[in-house]
Amino acid sequence: MSVSGLTLPRAASPLHDKPTFRRLDLVDPYLLIATLLLMAYGLVITYSTSYEDSAAGDPVQFILRGAIFTVLGILVMVGVAYFDYAWFGTFAPLLYLLTLGLLVLVLVIGHNVLGGQRWITIAGQKFQVSEFAKVLMIVVLAKYFADRHDKIGSPLVLGGALVLLAPAFALVYRQPDLGTSLVFVGIFFGMAYLAGARPWQLASLVAMGLAAFPLIWGILQDYQKGRLTAFLDPYADPQGAGWNIIQSLIAIGSGQATGKGLTAGTQSPLGYLPIAESDFVFAGLAEDLGFVGAIILFALYAVLLVATLRIAFRARDPFGTFVGAGVFSMLAFQLVVNVGMAMSLMPVTGIPLPFISHGGSSLLSVCMALGILQSISMRRDASRLRS
Amino acid sequence: MKNGERPRAFVRPYRFIAVGAVVLFLLGVLSVRLWDLQVVHGAHYRSLAEENRLLRLPVAADRGIIVDRTGKVLVRNIPGFAVSVVPIDLPKTDQHDLAFRLAQLLGLDGAEVLKSIDEQRARNPYEPVKISTKPIARDLALLLTERAEVYPGVRIDAESVREYVEGPLYSPIIGYTGPITQDELQAKQDQGYLPTDQVGRTGLEWEYEQYLRGQYGWREIERDASQREIKTLAQTPSQAGGNVVLTIDDRLQHLLANELNTGVNADAFTQAVAIAMNPQTGEILAMVSTPSYDNNVFVRGITQPELDALNKDDRHPLVNKAVGEIYPPGSTFKMVTGLSALTAGTATRNTVINVSSLSITVSGTSFFDWRAHGPLNFVDGYAHSSDIYFYTLAGGSPLSSVQGVGPDNIAKYGRMLGFGAPTGIDLPGEADGIMPDPAWKQQTFGEPWSIGNTYHEAIGQGFVAVTPLQLLNAYASVANGGTLYVPHLLKEVDDAQGNPIVVQQPQVLRTLAMKPDDLRTIREGARKVVTSNHAPMPNAKLWIAGKTGTAEFGLSSGKDSAGRNKLGFHNWFVSFLPQQDNTDPTAKIAMVVFTFDSSRGLCETCLNPAIAISQRVYEQYVLGDPAKKAELIK
Repeated sequence: MSVSGLTLPRAASPLHDKPTFRRLDLVDPYLLIATLLLMAYGLVITYSTSYEDSAAGDPVQFILRGAIFTVLGILVMVGVAYFDYAWFGTFAPLLYLLTLGLLVLVLVIGHNVLGGQRWITIAGQKFQVSEFAKVLMIVVLAKYFADRHDKIGSPLVLGGALVLLAPAFALVYRQPDLGTSLVFVGIFFGMAYLAGARPWQLASLVAMGLAAFPLIWGILQDYQKGRLTAFLDPYADPQGAGWNIIQSLIAIGSGQATGKGLTAGTQSPLGYLPIAESDFVFAGLAEDLGFVGAIILFALYAVLLVATLRIAFRARDPFGTFVGAGVFSMLAFQLVVNVGMAMSLMPVTGIPLPFISHGGSSLLSVCMALGILQSISMRRDASRLRS
Repeated sequence: MKNGERPRAFVRPYRFIAVGAVVLFLLGVLSVRLWDLQVVHGAHYRSLAEENRLLRLPVAADRGIIVDRTGKVLVRNIPGFAVSVVPIDLPKTDQHDLAFRLAQLLGLDGAEVLKSIDEQRARNPYEPVKISTKPIARDLALLLTERAEVYPGVRIDAESVREYVEGPLYSPIIGYTGPITQDELQAKQDQGYLPTDQVGRTGLEWEYEQYLRGQYGWREIERDASQREIKTLAQTPSQAGGNVVLTIDDRLQHLLANELNTGVNADAFTQAVAIAMNPQTGEILAMVSTPSYDNNVFVRGITQPELDALNKDDRHPLVNKAVGEIYPPGSTFKMVTGLSALTAGTATRNTVINVSSLSITVSGTSFFDWRAHGPLNFVDGYAHSSDIYFYTLAGGSPLSSVQGVGPDNIAKYGRMLGFGAPTGIDLPGEADGIMPDPAWKQQTFGEPWSIGNTYHEAIGQGFVAVTPLQLLNAYASVANGGTLYVPHLLKEVDDAQGNPIVVQQPQVLRTLAMKPDDLRTIREGARKVVTSNHAPMPNAKLWIAGKTGTAEFGLSSGKDSAGRNKLGFHNWFVSFLPQQDNTDPTAKIAMVVFTFDSSRGLCETCLNPAIAISQRVYEQYVLGDPAKKAELIK
């Protein structure tokens, strides 16, 4: 199969090149199985943590919603995988504008929930735009790096990537959604490193960030500062800023080795655990299913992440590789930060745990990302790699 | 496959390996942390989660009520309202403001309220801390409930409040309840007392706390983070306290109190005590001490000025004068002098002493009688209350060959009759009284005993001092033929269904080592006190026997707290009613009436109000109720 544009300055694209036919036998089975198992696990946790939550209404509604979104997610994943991922690259500039447009829109007409303006309603369904923005920015950055992968060592390329990212970061931060904007930062560093940026340049960026910390501290909202100080000493204000983290630790610890059993947890249904369906969903999982359940989650994620890396490694072109690197960075960052936050290893930032947190937007956007990855896998140059 | 294809330079294997390794390492770190939380410290967090979720709430138990021997309710519980604050529901920023607003509404000190909320917040912010020290009015409770948004964290609970139906009539014996103190709480914590408990502070409320107090029930509830009750997981019902049945007869109590209050109002005397008991058992049938106080005021929360006024009152309204104050017994003490002489054998009922003048002179000091009686035998000397007759029995006389029995013997038999030591009645604050002897005087004053001391003691003056109850109990032991009982107010304790769980049996303190005939002689003399008209009882319908006494002590000038003249003369009449008009030891009722600042006169017949009071009360009590009449007389 001859596809990669030797003579073309840009990566192959269906618009000016022959399409690469998908090969169903090249679907990545590890990624697929890990994805389906994590989706199923997510449904189990939804059932387990919302079962007794009578205060929040009919528990069946959460499970039903979760199931509907899981089915939708699988359809999205299959649909996206069907198309050649190169299309995303081709339309990257448009996608970029779409992303920024949506982020502006959400600031203008979005719903205000819990102090954050994050949602817009499409067809009666609320969507969290920033979740999709993450995936779209991965595509945009991948396209950007792919087009310049031979000049990747230049600080200008790195600087250009930052310029691309900055408006999206700023718009999400304005919502305000510190967590998701930090995911952008994680994606950026992960992609840049895997794309080949010079380590010293990345290290300089980190150093500049640290040096600017007093400035950043100045623009943080009070509640964000409170979360940071509560991380350092939750018991300084156990009824206030420290409440979330203390209750999360109690939930996790009280799960002990094998957990209290499905639906048997008390911290989440009785409302001690805040935002139990999203930011602190891991605590509910660890309470109900214990150490064993949490390790199962880690194992599934490990399979998922390694499979993602492998797909990136074997992609037919730089765009595929960098998209894979971006999805890997996003998932790894969210997993580590969400779980680490629940265990008080890092400050509280509202980041959902993909698959496990309730929330259709998160699931659909991740499915979209993993659909792209399967598309990359199905279109890799298997014969070359095999030889 | 292209020829000459460039190597896949865009894939950097080492970076992929490095990134994968970093993520796996981070998952390892998370796993280690997880192991530490769940496996190493899991049990600790499990108990914290249970503490979050479970709340053990006490279920209040009603305190037992108090009734008289006929079942008439003297103390009961009525519903009231208490104010508490749950710190978790009160934002810290509003705390200061709310504390002071509440304090103003409840008449408390704002700083104190703030302090107790703060302390509870540190202890357990989920549990309410009681703010009101006394039950609040219904309209105030309604205000606080209806304007809940203005009073965040404030809770109104129904609580049961003690009501003393008769107030001042029974306050000297029943006492009152009050909030438990920190020290008491620490001492009684293992008995299940809570910081919000009311406990008996004095009187029978204090004495029988163990019976009156109920047992808390417990309700274990599951609650959510906003403290809403989700469900009750376990429940043990509370157990109401026992109902205390007193030996008191409310009818007799009222008869005596009416007489004493009428006398005080008529300025016949300024303070008074009356006690009635059954000499055959030691049961107290009535006990009145006036002036007293309204114990309901203590339950509602007494103010400092109110308390100061009670404490400054020189009539001692807070003291149950029946047991808590001591007075010289006056001539009523001649019973002790006489019994000592008879028992020691220095005199018999036939010992005649000629009281030929108004005084005798010993060692240059004259000792007076109130009349030159002429020759008197024992019964007549007692009946006419001749001072010289009893001076002589006690200490001898230059005019008589009769040998004095001496102060040591008088003290010995006085103590046998219960003087100088508490009777052991079931009330707090009982005084010892003073039963002096030469050794006591030497020890107390460093001076030797004189013949004058003996003479004064013989007629109940000088050092000897008794509580009204001691005096009554001594006469009761003579009236019953020689058994000194421990007086008691408790008849029985019933459970909520009315079944007795404790029944008070008569308790014998001692049997008098005295000859029955000598005791009969005293009873004969006591009856003759009345029949000889020494204690005049016009139109007597009953064969009351008794002994008068006039005691001189205290100031005879100035005014007391009520603005009445202090006279320094006080009257006794201690009496008993045999079942028939004879000298048999059958009396089922004995009574002492003591009136303070009541009589200036020393005449034979006048101005001892205690006699007339006793006659009226006996006649109304015994004859006013056929059943009572059948019980007490034949």
